[in-house]
Amino acid sequence: MNARTVLFVLLAVVVASFSFTAMAQDVAREDTAIFDRDGRVGPQPGFDNYNPYVPNNLSNGGLGQAVFQPLFILNYETGEIIPWLGESASSNDSLDVWTLNLREGAEWSDGEALDSDDVVFTFEMLGNPENAGLWRAGNVQTWVDSVEAVDATTIQFNLKAPNPRFQLDFLTVKIGGNILILPEHVWADQDPFTFKNFPPVGSGPYTLTHADETNWIYDRNDDWWGAKTGALSMPEPLRLIWIITGNDQIRTTLAVNNEVDSIMDVTLGAFEAMQAQNDNIFAWVDGMPFVWLDPCPRQLTFQTDVEPWDNPDMRWAINHIVDRDNIIEVAYEGVTIPSRTMFVEYGAMFPFIDAIEDAGMGLSSTSNHMAAEELLTANGYVRGGDGLWQDADGHVLNLAIQVHEGFIEKRRITSVLVEQLRAFGVNASAAVIAGPTWDDNKRFGNYEATTDWDACGSVNEPWASLDRYTSRHYVPIGERSSGNNHARWSGMNNEAYSDVVAQIGSLPLGDPEVIPLVLEAYQYFYEDLPILPLNQATKLIPFNSTYWEGWPTSDNNFNHPATWWHSTHQIISELRKAGM
Amino acid sequence: MADSSGSGGKPVADLDSRFSNLAPSSTGRKKTGRFNRFDNPLLNWKFLSGAGIFGFIFFLIFLGNQFWDTDLALAGSSPLNMPPVGFTNWRDQEGIPEHPLGTENSGRDMLALLIVGTPRTIGVGVIAASVGMGAGILLGFMAGFVGGIVDDVIRLMTDVVIPIPSLLVLIVIQSALQREMDLVTMALLISMFSWAAPTRYIRSQVLSMRESGYVQMAQLSGVPTRDIMYREMMPNLLPYLAASYIGNMTGAILQAVGLELLGLGPQRIPSLGVTIFFSIEAAALLRNMWWWWGIPTVILAVVFIALLLINLGLDEIANPRLRKAN
Repeated sequence: MNARTVLFVLLAVVVASFSFTAMAQDVAREDTAIFDRDGRVGPQPGFDNYNPYVPNNLSNGGLGQAVFQPLFILNYETGEIIPWLGESASSNDSLDVWTLNLREGAEWSDGEALDSDDVVFTFEMLGNPENAGLWRAGNVQTWVDSVEAVDATTIQFNLKAPNPRFQLDFLTVKIGGNILILPEHVWADQDPFTFKNFPPVGSGPYTLTHADETNWIYDRNDDWWGAKTGALSMPEPLRLIWIITGNDQIRTTLAVNNEVDSIMDVTLGAFEAMQAQNDNIFAWVDGMPFVWLDPCPRQLTFQTDVEPWDNPDMRWAINHIVDRDNIIEVAYEGVTIPSRTMFVEYGAMFPFIDAIEDAGMGLSSTSNHMAAEELLTANGYVRGGDGLWQDADGHVLNLAIQVHEGFIEKRRITSVLVEQLRAFGVNASAAVIAGPTWDDNKRFGNYEATTDWDACGSVNEPWASLDRYTSRHYVPIGERSSGNNHARWSGMNNEAYSDVVAQIGSLPLGDPEVIPLVLEAYQYFYEDLPILPLNQATKLIPFNSTYWEGWPTSDNNFNHPATWWHSTHQIISELRKAGM
Repeated sequence: MADSSGSGGKPVADLDSRFSNLAPSSTGRKKTGRFNRFDNPLLNWKFLSGAGIFGFIFFLIFLGNQFWDTDLALAGSSPLNMPPVGFTNWRDQEGIPEHPLGTENSGRDMLALLIVGTPRTIGVGVIAASVGMGAGILLGFMAGFVGGIVDDVIRLMTDVVIPIPSLLVLIVIQSALQREMDLVTMALLISMFSWAAPTRYIRSQVLSMRESGYVQMAQLSGVPTRDIMYREMMPNLLPYLAASYIGNMTGAILQAVGLELLGLGPQRIPSLGVTIFFSIEAAALLRNMWWWWGIPTVILAVVFIALLLINLGLDEIANPRLRKAN
């Protein structure tokens, strides 16, 4: 071998090793599915927070879509419950003992077995009274008396009272996400309030490769238990990426250039611009209004523990000023409908909504300035020289509405609300606040009013939304709430309401007694109006089929299109390479 | 260049001639004579055209306020996404005369937005520059004239503040504020950083002026320090102060627009920067809504050009060397 050959061989080895590393590290664009995530570009306080039970985690940034798996997923289109990590769940006849069966052979991404001990650990962590501030812990502590492992894959839940909705409310992705089972061997010695779980150990088909303040990259685990056991199918994308794009301009550009496959939510105008420039972009409905009805209607939540908003008359006055039709026309460019009640306008909810409306408790979609004027005057307010309402001491009636900066939709609702209120003489203002602060302010009661979606919960029965405002969730201002009743609604009406809601909670789904009880409870709510339901939330969720096909649409309706929910496991498993 | 290096050999003499020329003594001015026609600000074409543009903008704003309904600048006051008259939008809607410059996607009328937003944008600059210059004059004179420990402390403060990346700090402060941002707050925040540079420049001018004859004479005559600083020396610095006031104003507007483009500006009644932020957020570029981002951008550019011309003009009035170059 002469020197030249040696040199050539060496060179070939070097080139080969480089291309090998390139193969190991780079995944081709056509093997990567890229998801956009709401939020402002900039420092993300929780960019490495993979703890599902504390605020500001990556629940919609891969934690719930790639790393952790849900037990069951509710199919919005058929109403059936799809088994995922769980195989089945059933109750005894009296509905107070539930049994969960896990899939056989489930494993954590570090190779440890996922078994009933992990489920027991998770529920016991949430059931510990010291951990009441954790996400979902309040509900677990209300309902679950004890949890026991029957065998490696069977878990028995002994409830404090009969609960017909236990599987739906505790084990199933109904809205957003639900209790995620944690690996006991990782979490056992950690403080669940401060543990970041970074890098995360989960049971999903992907593991975290990279996380920074705008990008989260997950690579497929080819040794994933779901495919090994045949229980679940191996998803096709080799890599999943979540990115924060920030605004419609960037989203639209990326989507038009095929640099992102799924977009969280855009305005109608931005969607039309995308479609005009890229034939592969589509949404849930093929044609106007393109949108999917999100189960979390938008509302104005009052802080009912501070003056003057502790007075139901004042909240009602604001309700009379608000013109819901105008909010929809301006903030949504016409693509949604007003809320009549606190509930989402899904078919399964119509019996309750219609009954409430027939009983005269539906909310008007237009304003009634005369009624507002009467209420304000009756409470000692007069219009000052500048047209602003003021109380007997000359204090102008202010209403500062806090809004999460990350969501264009909520900012737009708020800006229309502010104009409506100011036009009537209420000195309203919008405070655009960083997400984590906004969340903290709600939990500790540090706000006057806020635009949110807190009545969210019911999709096929009324209890879940009603329960969020019961007295058991009440905490005084300054104490951290469990995530419910941020309005801090209390008093006699609330007590009576809570009693009736508790009765509803013990009745099986579809029981004929439910409707009259809902009417009774709603009457107290309607009198006090701690929140103003505003409008139904629509999401215009664009997908791009250039690289991946099989996205959910009203025609391909295997489930809904909310890609920021934990049910996204199902969407990812349906994706197929384009043109294959 | 040759000119400046030539005169650079005797800076003190040069400065002296410059300031004696500007001294309020009318006899001195008559004797030198050479620069008289430049001393009258009205005869400098840069200053004149800049001021003219500025005046014209304010004239238009005045007319707009008289003849246009400025409440149309509020969300939901007009139909959405309308193009200017004579154009069509992506939905093939034609512009209507009720909204001659079109509307944006929250139903704000563009013409009303400009009438309301332009003075607000300029207002931030005026407030921030006034506060910054006020502090700069006070501190700069004290440092330059009083000297000693006062000078050391003030110089240390400016040395600390000048290298701070103010935009970064402002972003942090504004995102932490938990209420609606208003223009005055924004201007005051900006002025927290806009005093340091004027302080340093004024100090250096005062230092060189302190040695001039009329100041020494005033000192010998027992004129109080305050009067020497503000009655004797400051009038000589007026053109210079005016030039740097305008420069400061430009800087403040730039910073305000920068913050607004990041979404940290007042949102209810938008200024020009916030209008552009809304347009970016709503993908106006891809929606071909050029009137939404384009018109405010052009107005901002015109405002900056006018300020630049005024600044250059004032600079020439204040600095004889620049005049020679012309």
